[in-house]
Amino acid sequence: MGFLAPWFFAGAAALAVPLYLHLLRRHTSTPQPFSSLMFFEPHTQSSIRHRRLRYLLLLALRLSLLALLVLAFADPFINRPAASVATNKLLVLVIDNSFSMRAGSRLADAKREALSVLASRPPSERAQIFALGSGLEAMSQPTDDSRALEAALSAIRPSDARGNFGELSRGLRSFSNSVAGPIDLHFFSDMQKSDMPANFADLALPEKISLTLHPVVKSAVANWAVESVNAPGQVWNVKKARVQAVIAGYGTPAATRTASLVVDGKTIAMQKVQIPANGRATVEFNSLNVPYGFSHCAVRIDSADALPADDISYFAVERRDPQQVLFLHQASDKRSPVYFGAALGASAESAFTMESVAADQAASLQPSKYAFVVLSDVPSLPSSFENNLARYVSSGGGVLIAAGTAIGHASRIPLFGANVLDAHYYANGPGGYLTVGDVDPSHPSIAKADRWSDVKFYYAVKVDDSGSQVAARLTDGTPLLLDKKIGEGRVLLLASGLDNLTNDFPLHPDFVPFVEQTAFYLSGSERPGGSLLVGSHLQLRTAKERAVSVEVVDPEGRRPLSLQQATTAQTYQLNEAGFYELRLANGRQDVVGVNADRRESDLAVMSPDALSLWAGKPNGPNAAAPSHTAAAAAASAPEKFSPHPLWWYVMLLVLLTAVVESWVANLHLGVRREE
Amino acid sequence: MQRFLDPATLARISSLDLIAKTVVDGFVAGLHRSPDFGFSQEFAEYRAYSPGDDLRHVDWNVFARTERAYLKRYRGETNSLLTVLLDASSSMNYSSHSVSKIDYARFVAASLFYLAIQNQRDAAGLIVFDDEVRNYIRPSTRVGQLHRLLAGLEHAEPRARTDFAKPLHHFQQFLRRRGVVLILSDFFEPPENIVRTIEPLRFHGNEVVLFHILDPREIEPQLGEPVILVDSETSQRMEVTPEYAHTEYRQKIAAHIEELRNRVRGAGMDYFLLRTDRPLDSALAEYLTIRQERN
Repeated sequence: MGFLAPWFFAGAAALAVPLYLHLLRRHTSTPQPFSSLMFFEPHTQSSIRHRRLRYLLLLALRLSLLALLVLAFADPFINRPAASVATNKLLVLVIDNSFSMRAGSRLADAKREALSVLASRPPSERAQIFALGSGLEAMSQPTDDSRALEAALSAIRPSDARGNFGELSRGLRSFSNSVAGPIDLHFFSDMQKSDMPANFADLALPEKISLTLHPVVKSAVANWAVESVNAPGQVWNVKKARVQAVIAGYGTPAATRTASLVVDGKTIAMQKVQIPANGRATVEFNSLNVPYGFSHCAVRIDSADALPADDISYFAVERRDPQQVLFLHQASDKRSPVYFGAALGASAESAFTMESVAADQAASLQPSKYAFVVLSDVPSLPSSFENNLARYVSSGGGVLIAAGTAIGHASRIPLFGANVLDAHYYANGPGGYLTVGDVDPSHPSIAKADRWSDVKFYYAVKVDDSGSQVAARLTDGTPLLLDKKIGEGRVLLLASGLDNLTNDFPLHPDFVPFVEQTAFYLSGSERPGGSLLVGSHLQLRTAKERAVSVEVVDPEGRRPLSLQQATTAQTYQLNEAGFYELRLANGRQDVVGVNADRRESDLAVMSPDALSLWAGKPNGPNAAAPSHTAAAAAASAPEKFSPHPLWWYVMLLVLLTAVVESWVANLHLGVRREE
Repeated sequence: MQRFLDPATLARISSLDLIAKTVVDGFVAGLHRSPDFGFSQEFAEYRAYSPGDDLRHVDWNVFARTERAYLKRYRGETNSLLTVLLDASSSMNYSSHSVSKIDYARFVAASLFYLAIQNQRDAAGLIVFDDEVRNYIRPSTRVGQLHRLLAGLEHAEPRARTDFAKPLHHFQQFLRRRGVVLILSDFFEPPENIVRTIEPLRFHGNEVVLFHILDPREIEPQLGEPVILVDSETSQRMEVTPEYAHTEYRQKIAAHIEELRNRVRGAGMDYFLLRTDRPLDSALAEYLTIRQERN
């Protein structure tokens, strides 16, 4: 027997407290009045003796309580032979069911080997089954029921998740905290190299876990895969749409593969592609002839390898008609519509067509017909159109205002509502121009541009920026790009012109991404690429869209969300490869293609040295030896002892003593109260 | 009825007048109707004249026939004289429950005064004493007498210690007329001293009754552990063990009561033990019994 924290015995000094209180301290009792003492006789000596006798039991209980408490904190333990401890051992079988286990018969082999380990365990030994995909998933409770364990084992299905051995160690570390005895861990996996965490120390397991690795493959297998597909999420002009796919080979010889573009199950294009040995090749399809609405698209190769699941990559495309943009300018301004229209046409994959109208002819136009409206240096609008435009913005429309020299002479910017404070002609000042200073790179209009670093601004209007978000400022602090939310809509103000006179922005390369992103931002029609990775989360609603039902249909055609989840879930994790059909809280329909992480396609396995190091057996390949070999080795080793903690039992005694002490003390106090 | 005579219930009534009325009305309501307890002008008896009697009450017809003077008495005139001697020493302040001994004595005295004055048309008086006579209210049947007596009881706050010997000559001075003398005390004195002191009160033809008022814990003390007791009259301190209190003390107090009862009765007086946790009706019944015997 020993103590893990013997310094806590210093607390035994506390035993002096009850001794002092009971034996050394003079007992004082409150005198009680009585009518007459004529029939009493003093008995002082006997009373003291009586008091001491009477409190001895309470004293003993209090001393015991303190002594046991000190003993519990000292953490006593006894050494027990490891063999006797083994009766508490828990056998844990972890089956890797990550995407790579779909290759060949890996998962079946792993389950078969796990069954043999289960069969060889003593009948009374408890066991628990886990599956390792993106995380550790318990398939059963700890039990010695062989049928339940075999059923849990057979219930493990291949997943599309990316395996992570770091998650295995992390999950088992927390799991071991809830298990009292030692854990005999058996891990059945293809030991894929790409599943290793970046830091080998993340694989460390607690001492109570003894790890036995069961690799189901010994060496790498050649594998081709469609590594990535670059396709637009929306298509407005099928002739301009492009689809690029990267075909990768892992441990493969040089080969020619046929890549096919599949739309709604029909192959619409095929190309031969030469893939170098253990390398990558890109294949491009120059048109994406999809019907209107959502289409389920995929790029497929004929690889004829062990892992066919990664020979196809899914993506979804929505085909729509181009949207119209209204561009209002002064009649004398011929430059800005040209520059803006050219940028719009060169970008956005022909998502928009521009209608350029002089401001004085806009009275009869209806803004609601347009995706968004551009006011290029228009100091005043026909009143009826201005009213319509204000309603358009309030109900969710978007407007871009460019403040050129004409607005600089006005006192107030139409629609935006801000006062014009000043107009700066930087061309007359030192240097002749200003550049952009502070930029908010998270703003959608600037996100894809290169911070407008080389753009020269010769003129800018200084406006009151209260109530609006400033996305960019010139170096003198003048707000250059302001974003204001009005009602449900949004108005962007560029404090300079869109012509080539007040700045050189239209001639700059950053102008095109600015126009493209602004167009998508203001029109609200931007759709992310139509493919995501397994394990990623999809946002179903914003914080404001509460109690609105959403719908998710997974690749198997099931609706995985319950009724309650459908009205409350903010996000949904995509767990399978294939097409998910969605109806979001904002009412939009969407289709997303989901693909397994292509790091799973690299079927290279961990080196034997790494495996033995992980298993804690530095003998090389024997690390992954079957458990009976390890057992034989253990038998030949000298008998091991493991500490068996006793503090738990001592604390039980403390509790029991405290209850009895309370009862006895209450008896004395009860007598006093009665008196 | 029992509810109205419960001391703990009475202790919650602040007015002594109301307490007395509650007790007596409750008590009388519980009795069977009896001609002995009423007021009438019916002839009751002839009594031999004794010096001091009012000559107006002499039946001269009888005197003419027999040459002996007799007083003609009617039931309405069989009045008695009730004097209550209330011990207001500090020891009477003791209580182990909601009613102290002095409170209990007040209830008894107030009830007796009410019964005597309101129901029996008796004259009633009060002497409050400890080691001196602290208050004396002359017996009378005048209007307002009951109020004066109850006020005297209200002001009888326990203090000092009991000493029967010292105020004795005052008692004798006050009690010149015959009647019923009730002494309410805890009698923490040797019985022979008590009897020797009180016995002369009988010599005037008084019926003397000792109401021995004790708290139940004075008869049967309950001590859980040794305690220090302080004498409420002498402030003497004494450490007392439970064993002693449970055995010897009980024997001693029982012997004291028994000896006091025997000596009192041996001296021709009446003795009655009243525990403060018992109803008051026994004290009232005792008084009425004595009065009936006198008439």
